[in-house]
Amino acid sequence: MNELGHADDLGEPDAARAWPEADEPVTTRPRTPPARPGAADPVKALMHSHRELCERAVDPLEIAARLETHGLTDHAAARFRHRDVFSLAEELYARVPRVEETRMPEGEAVDAPGAHTGWAVFALLPGALCVAAMAGVHLTEDRPRLMAAVVAAGVLAVLLGLRAALRRGPLRDPSNRTGGSHAWMCWLVVYALLGDGLLSAALEGGPDEPWPLATASVSALALACAPAIWCAHLFAVRARRRLAASRGLKEFAGSVRPLLLSVLALFLGALGVLLAVCGAVLDEPVAYAGAGSLGVLLLLARLLAVRGSPKAPVIALGAAGMVEATALAVVFAGRLPGCSFVTVPVETVVAVWGPGAVPGLACGSAALALLIHATRILTGASAHATPPGSP
Amino acid sequence: MRIGLLTEGGYPYVSGDARLWCDRLVRGLGQYEFDVYALSRSERQENEGWIPMPPQVNRVRTAPLWTAEDDGIVHGRRTRRRFAEAYGELAAAICAPTPPGAMGAMGAADPRGPQRADDWEAVDVSEASEVSGALEMSGVPEVSEVLEASDTPDTPDTSEASEASGTSAFLEALAASDGVMGSETARHPRAAAARHSETTGHPDVVAFPEASAGTFDSEADRFAAPLYALADIARDEGGLVGALRSEAVVRTLERACRAPGALRAAREARVPDLLTVAAHLECVLRPLSLDWYEDDRLGSVDLCHAAAGGTAALPGLLARHFSGVPLLVTEYGVPLRAHYLTAAGSVPVRALLASFHGRLAAEVYRQAACVTPGNAHARRWQERCGADRAKIRTVHPGMEASRFTAVGEARESADPYTLVWVGRIEPAKDLITLLHAFAEVRRSEPRARLRIVGAPADGPDGAVCLAQCEALAARLFREEEVTEGATAVGDSPVSFEEVGGREVPGLADAYAAGSVVVLSSVVEGFPVSLVEAMFCGRATVSTDVGAVVEVIGGTGLVVPPREPRALAEACVALLRDPGRRARLGAAARARALELFTVEQNIAAFRDIYLGIVSRFPVRRLVVDEAGEPLPFGVPAEVHVPWRWTRQSRSALRVGPRWAVGVPVRATVSADAWTTLSPEAAASGREATPVATATATSSPEATAAPAPTPVSAAAPAPLPTSASTSTPAWTGKAGR
Repeated sequence: MNELGHADDLGEPDAARAWPEADEPVTTRPRTPPARPGAADPVKALMHSHRELCERAVDPLEIAARLETHGLTDHAAARFRHRDVFSLAEELYARVPRVEETRMPEGEAVDAPGAHTGWAVFALLPGALCVAAMAGVHLTEDRPRLMAAVVAAGVLAVLLGLRAALRRGPLRDPSNRTGGSHAWMCWLVVYALLGDGLLSAALEGGPDEPWPLATASVSALALACAPAIWCAHLFAVRARRRLAASRGLKEFAGSVRPLLLSVLALFLGALGVLLAVCGAVLDEPVAYAGAGSLGVLLLLARLLAVRGSPKAPVIALGAAGMVEATALAVVFAGRLPGCSFVTVPVETVVAVWGPGAVPGLACGSAALALLIHATRILTGASAHATPPGSP
Repeated sequence: MRIGLLTEGGYPYVSGDARLWCDRLVRGLGQYEFDVYALSRSERQENEGWIPMPPQVNRVRTAPLWTAEDDGIVHGRRTRRRFAEAYGELAAAICAPTPPGAMGAMGAADPRGPQRADDWEAVDVSEASEVSGALEMSGVPEVSEVLEASDTPDTPDTSEASEASGTSAFLEALAASDGVMGSETARHPRAAAARHSETTGHPDVVAFPEASAGTFDSEADRFAAPLYALADIARDEGGLVGALRSEAVVRTLERACRAPGALRAAREARVPDLLTVAAHLECVLRPLSLDWYEDDRLGSVDLCHAAAGGTAALPGLLARHFSGVPLLVTEYGVPLRAHYLTAAGSVPVRALLASFHGRLAAEVYRQAACVTPGNAHARRWQERCGADRAKIRTVHPGMEASRFTAVGEARESADPYTLVWVGRIEPAKDLITLLHAFAEVRRSEPRARLRIVGAPADGPDGAVCLAQCEALAARLFREEEVTEGATAVGDSPVSFEEVGGREVPGLADAYAAGSVVVLSSVVEGFPVSLVEAMFCGRATVSTDVGAVVEVIGGTGLVVPPREPRALAEACVALLRDPGRRARLGAAARARALELFTVEQNIAAFRDIYLGIVSRFPVRRLVVDEAGEPLPFGVPAEVHVPWRWTRQSRSALRVGPRWAVGVPVRATVSADAWTTLSPEAAASGREATPVATATATSSPEATAAPAPTPVSAAAPAPLPTSASTSTPAWTGKAGR
């Protein structure tokens, strides 16, 4: 406290001199010469010694509160020809011009979510486990029992890895309100694995034998967890930087909208590359429309859930899942006598665009709806506020 | 009488502020019932648990202020619009610059004195009518409608009507407000009653029409009206947590900041600033979403006592708004001042939050029936923030005097050359100045010693400060020690000790060790160590900060802060004059025993409670099924301002009841009523065993001299018959 001002010394120069200079370990401010008693403007010296305090103050009461902590009492205020500290503070507030405060560098705010970089590695976990499981399946192809065990273990491992990846980093949900969407997410992934084959087999009157699984799509989706989390981080960091720089909400929304779209495009590109690679490696045809739109849908759903809009993702995921389930059910229901007409829309769609069009349409339209919602929600400033649970 | 004790980060928690004072208060006022409503400040505090509760604490309700779970309540469109309007007005009020002089206007506006009696009566009646807020609300009018209604020129009629008393006044007021509301409401009496209660939901709008002419009141209403509107929404439609976090709030804030005429600092607010302010407001307004204001909770107490201002008093404000419960605010430190000192962030954030807290404090002071600062320093701040001087009564904190009795009454046996400093070692105590001063003392009094007794304050500051002081002491006194050799070998003239060590087993011993106690702080609220020194009968030298002058009152020497020479001169003067030391010490002890004991603190609060309850009784209106007010629905004995059916155990144990400081005459007559009609007591207070009431009151009746036969001669108590004829009585009035 020593360094701060010498309001009370002003009247008594002797006392000020009695203060041994050399023995002050905490002095940081240059001393101001004490005012002579009877000077024309006693407040001026005080103003000078407390200039920074007065410049920062937002109202006279703040100056009063801070002057008091520097030992200035009403008694001392009388020396400045004021009745009390409050009126002295008012004079100081009126006489010292406010200064434009230099903004804090936003460095730490930007780095906050990335302070702990473990998440970036954990993001690779689901993909790695999926690849390992695939390799295991290929190695044990001739022993069906062992293969079943490997498949079960692989599914469990991928789920646990996904959980671990989503528990930290930018897609962590601090409030844990995403409960309802998990079931729909699982159903959509299961459909991506089994659905297309089952649908085409069913349309041809089957299934009489095991139909082919779309392992390439699912492994690409598992691998895409990493770019999804990295993209979410990029979005968070860039958005926060823009938040710090923007003067108004409209300006902020205007700058975040292209950011959101470009981040999604980036993710879509990464997912496309992964799909192509997986298809080539596993030598399988790849359903780009279904898997691509599903990936975007899942990322948007998670982004929205994490950033304070947990209801819309559940609705969108639910709608897409329902459409897919209905498509399958309708095909089987068409076999009932007199009901063959219900399969007409599904048959038409499959005939025109192939079986991958059903998940493509379902997930694509759901993703589009979510995207429109997201351009309203995620461009709001409150979506980028520090979540209330975290310090 | 039931007191609702409101705390924030305080009383029942082990680590709470001012818990000692609250505990003493609750234990000392065993004749009243206490309901504790506590807001906790952190998770740690909540996990640390409560201190043990005395039996007079009926219930403890707590709510966290550090977290709020999103309750998932999504409001309908109409509610959202109401919310946005109210929040927008609140934001506009916060962003508006404080009109010059408005803050201090109330302090200066003493000429209102002669009006006061009328004001109080008006408040009573409006509170009575407000109680029909307990009705199921039908057709809740919009906030703006309420404001319009109160602005119409008809309002003075309402206040004239309130000159009368009781139910007729209520009906007249109702009629008057019907004139305001239009003929449509007259056809539906119940809706009219509900509406009326909504109107008087802002009692001062109606009750203080003359006073609202000043800028202060309109300014205060500008803040208060939307605050209460938000509270109404929270009560009618459920919690505001989700709404207060929504994007709409940020947008509303931005609009308010950019509005013409907003604060200059607010106009510069950027988006992160808006977010910070919105988050802070959400945190501060969390008490609005609590379920504390129902009729069986804070609605049922006779008096809300907020143990601090600011957020702690917010539930009290709302209880007053909903149920007309009078509010007493005790502030040992001024929260607004603390806010200024701790506020961080950019200029717009600090400006907006300071504006909010300033207005909240002004509203708390305006609505409080009584404000009790702990010292004159807090009092000055309160006056500055708009507290009416007539409402303020300083109540000094009480301290346990008994442990200093032995030291205080013994003849001085200490080393006559020892100075003692006792306290928590932190920068604000300015030990540096003390050490420099002591160096000067040594120059003129080489035998002088200084003992610094105390532990470093929590946190890094304390340890750093202690290290600095020790280094400085070593530097200042090392050569001296070597050259002089007057002191014992290895015995520095300055010693740093802690209470509980070998040399200083207890706090009283610390004071006993010195002949003069020194206080060198630059910042001080209520100087505890100074009062302890006074209890010990020690002569003191202290700096003129905080409440020091007020506490010491001429029984010790006071010097300006940060002046080592002045401090040294005062110390030397006392060291050289044992007679003066003895005289000052005796006077200090006498003064402390008169002013700063626990007993005076509790007695002062008992008087204040009684005063408030008699001046602002909560009139809970009882209505029948049709919504008509029932005359005599609440019998008179409900208003007896203490527990009259169950004797406090302590009173019985201590001695005859007339020797305890409770007014005897009125108690006896009340008890005589009970003796005569136990069934009345049983029907009125369902929790009271009749046998207890009769048994405990009978010795009283024999002990009491005069009024018993008179009471006994009056059979068939009127309230009893009235109460038995009203079915709603037990439910509504049973407290």
